[in-house]
Amino acid sequence: MGIGFDHKAGVLAALLAGAAIVAPAGAQTVIDVAIIGEADTFDPMMSTKDVVSIVTQHFVETLYTFDESWAVAPLLATDLPQISDDGLVYTIGIREGVTFHDGSTMDAADVVASLNRWLEVSTRGKGVAGKVASVEATGPYEVTITMSEAYSPLLSLLAFSNSAAAVYPEEILGDTVEQVVGTGPYMIAEHVPDQYLQLVRFDGYVSRDEPSSGSAGKREQIPDEIRFVPVPDPNTRVEGLLSGQFAFADGLPAESFARLEESDVADPLLLKPFGWPIFAINHKEGLLTSREIRLALQAALPIDDMLYAAFGDDNFFVVDGPLYPEGWAWRTDAGTERYNQNDQKAAAEMLKEAGYDGTPLRILTSRQYEFHFKMAEVARQALEMAGFNVQMDVVDWATLGQRRDDPALWDIYITHSPFLPEPALTSMYESSSRLGWAEPEKDAIFAEFTTETDEARRFELFEQLQAKVFEDVGFIKIGGFNALMGVQQGMTGIPASPWPFFWNAKSE
Amino acid sequence: MTRYILKRIVGMIVVIFLVLTIAFVIVRLAPGDPAALMLGPDATPEDTAALRTRLGLDQPILVQYLTFVGNAVRGDLGSSIFFNQPVVEVLAGRVEPTAFLSLFSLLISLVIATPIGIYAAYRRGSWLDQGAITAAMLAASIPSFWTGLMLQRYLATDLGWFPASGYGGPDADFFDRMGYLILPSIVLGIVNSALILRFTRASMLDILGEDYIRTARSKGMGEARVVLRHALKNAAIPIITVVGLTFALLVSGAVVTERVFNIPGMGNLVVGAVLRRDYPIIQGTLIVVATLYVVINLATDLLYLVVDKRVKY
Repeated sequence: MGIGFDHKAGVLAALLAGAAIVAPAGAQTVIDVAIIGEADTFDPMMSTKDVVSIVTQHFVETLYTFDESWAVAPLLATDLPQISDDGLVYTIGIREGVTFHDGSTMDAADVVASLNRWLEVSTRGKGVAGKVASVEATGPYEVTITMSEAYSPLLSLLAFSNSAAAVYPEEILGDTVEQVVGTGPYMIAEHVPDQYLQLVRFDGYVSRDEPSSGSAGKREQIPDEIRFVPVPDPNTRVEGLLSGQFAFADGLPAESFARLEESDVADPLLLKPFGWPIFAINHKEGLLTSREIRLALQAALPIDDMLYAAFGDDNFFVVDGPLYPEGWAWRTDAGTERYNQNDQKAAAEMLKEAGYDGTPLRILTSRQYEFHFKMAEVARQALEMAGFNVQMDVVDWATLGQRRDDPALWDIYITHSPFLPEPALTSMYESSSRLGWAEPEKDAIFAEFTTETDEARRFELFEQLQAKVFEDVGFIKIGGFNALMGVQQGMTGIPASPWPFFWNAKSE
Repeated sequence: MTRYILKRIVGMIVVIFLVLTIAFVIVRLAPGDPAALMLGPDATPEDTAALRTRLGLDQPILVQYLTFVGNAVRGDLGSSIFFNQPVVEVLAGRVEPTAFLSLFSLLISLVIATPIGIYAAYRRGSWLDQGAITAAMLAASIPSFWTGLMLQRYLATDLGWFPASGYGGPDADFFDRMGYLILPSIVLGIVNSALILRFTRASMLDILGEDYIRTARSKGMGEARVVLRHALKNAAIPIITVVGLTFALLVSGAVVTERVFNIPGMGNLVVGAVLRRDYPIIQGTLIVVATLYVVINLATDLLYLVVDKRVKY
C-alpha cells in the first residue's frame, strides 16, 4: 500500500522517457504531511505553538489526552485520577510496561521528574505551579499531586499538547532537553531543518486498547513513516497536495477550496469551526481602561462586514457571539445581546458621554495573518464613523509579538485562537495576563470557576464569566472561523482537528 | 598583477568588515523579538524575558557587537537562535541547492540568451530582433513568482512532469534532488535570460559597427567567422560582467523562487530568518553573500585578462 509519494525516479530520466515523474511507492507506507513551518522545538513543554503540538504529539505523550468530544481521557495514566472530596489530592495510576524510545521503562519517578520540570519551565505549568503543593511518587506506578488550593482545570492542562506536561525519562531532564525521548507511537529518525522531519514507527510502543476516539484510545501506528515537511507558502502546499506529493496539507487558503472540491486527487477537509478571531484589549494603560469607551468600541463594530471581508466565503466563517460554538458543552448565550450591534450612532453617543477627547485608538495588527488585517481595516472605518480617531499600527508578526508585551504601545491587538477544550486554558480571563483585565466581580467568578469541581456549578459560573466578557468588554470575540486542510482521496483516520495526527491514517 | 590582486583582497576585507557591522546594526534596528516568536502566542512576558536572557539578547548592544566581531574574526558566526545549530553548519546545508540552482539557471539563461542576442544583433531590425526584444521585455517584466506559480501549476500539478516543490525526502539521492531543481531553474533561467540577452545584443551591435569588422568582411572572411570569432570575442567583456553579476545575484539566494518551490537554499533561509528574527543567521548570510559578491567580482575582473589581451592590471 502506498500513501505518500517518493520521487525515486530522477526527473531527467522521467522526462527522457516522456512520462510523469510520479514513481510507485515502495512497500513502506509513508505519509508526507505539509505543515505551515518548521517546529521551533521538539520539546512541547517549551512552546505554545500549534505546529509544535502537531508534530510532537507523535513521539511525546502526556498522562492524559482528549477524546473526540474533548473530554479528558487517560493516555499514560491508567485511568482518570482519584480526586479527594476537597479537590486537593489527585492520585494517578501510571501504566506499567510502557517504554521510552531509548528502551528504558517508564515509572512514577519519570512522571514526577517530568511534572516538576513542567511546573518550572513551561508557560502553562508555571501558571498552575503556585497552586501545587507537591508532586510525589506514592508507589512505583502511582503519582500523587497535592494542591494547595483546588484547581479544576488541572486535568485539562495535563492533557493539553500545547505547553504540554510531557513525560520524559528522568535522566534526560534539565532546563533544556537536548535529545527528546518520548513514549509515543513514532520516534525521530532524522531531521533536516526546513526540509523534513522523518518519524518512524516505534516497535516497542504499547498502545491503549480502547477504541480510538479523538487522540484517546488505540494508536494503531498504521503508517511505517510519517514525514513532516515544512512548506511556509500556502499556495505551494496546495500544489504539493494536488500533485500527489503530500498526503495531507495543513492551513490551506480559502481560495483553494473550489480547486480541492473539483480535484480527483485530493479532498478538502474543513475544520468547522476551528477558532475565533479576537480583539485583545489593553486594560492596563491607555484609552480602553475606560469601560464606557470599551462599550462604545463594542457597539460600533460591524461584525458581519468584518468577517466577510476577512474570509470572503460563508463556508469559512460564522457570525456567532457565544465564546463556544454550537455542540460544545460550554455553549451559552449569556451576555450575547451586546454582540454585533453594528450601531455607530449609539457608539458616538457613548463616546460623547464618556468625554472622549480624540486620543488615537491604536490597533496593533499584522499582515502575516491577512484576515487580521482585513478585519481591522473594516473595523477602522466603522470606528471612525462613530467618532474614534483610529491609528492602525500594521507590523509583522515578530514586531507584534514584541510590542504587545509593552502596554504603552497599543490599545487593541488582533490575534486568534482555536476553541480550547477548557475555558481556563484561555489566559485572557486572568488579571495577570498581558491584557490585564482586572475587575473584582469577574476575578471572583473566575477564581471560583477554577476551584469548583462540580461540573454543573462550573457551567453556571462560566455563564457568568461569559456575561462579564460582554458587560465589561474584557476582550472581543469577532466570530467563528473554519480552517481548511486537504487530504489525499481515499485516506481515512485523519481527524479534522487543530492538531491533526496520523497514527491511524490509512489509504483505502 | 600580484600587487593588484593583493590590493583587491585588502579591499575585500574592508568591505566584508563594513558589511559585518552594517548587518549587525540593521538586524537590531528592526523591531521584533525572537524569544516571543519561539515561545508562541500564549507565552507570558516573563517567559519571554527569561528566554531573552538565556539567548544573551539582554546584553548591552556594544557587548553583543564586540562578541560578534571577535567570534566572526575566528570564523565563528554564532549559533542560530531558531535551529540551535552553528550558523556555519546551517549555511553549509544550504550551499548545495542554491549553488546548483544558480548554476542550472545560469546555464539555461546563457543557452537562451546568447545565441538569440547574437542573432538579433546580426539581424538588427528583423522580425526576429523585434520578437527577441519584446520577449526579453516580457520576461523581465513578469514577476518570477508568477512564472513560478504558473509553471508549478501546469507542469507539476496538472501534467506531473516535475515535483511541485521541495528538495526530496530522506531517501532522495543526488540525482533525485537535482530533479527538484529543474522547474525552478527554468523559471530563473527565463527571468535572467532577459538581461543577458539585451546586453549581448547591445554589445554585439556596438562591435558589429566597428571598422575592423568591416575590414574583415571586405577581406572575404565568412560571416560566421566574422560574428563568432571577431565580434563576439570583442563583445565579451560587457557580457561577462552581466553574467558575473547575475551569478552573484543567484548565488546569494533566489529568494522568491526558492520560496515558491520550497527549495531549502540561502534565499529561503534568509526569508525565514528575517521572519523569525534569527539574528545570527541573518548576519551570517549577509557576510557570506557579501564575500561571494566581492569574490565573483574579482573573478570577473580577472576573466577579462583571459578574453582580452589588451587588459592589463
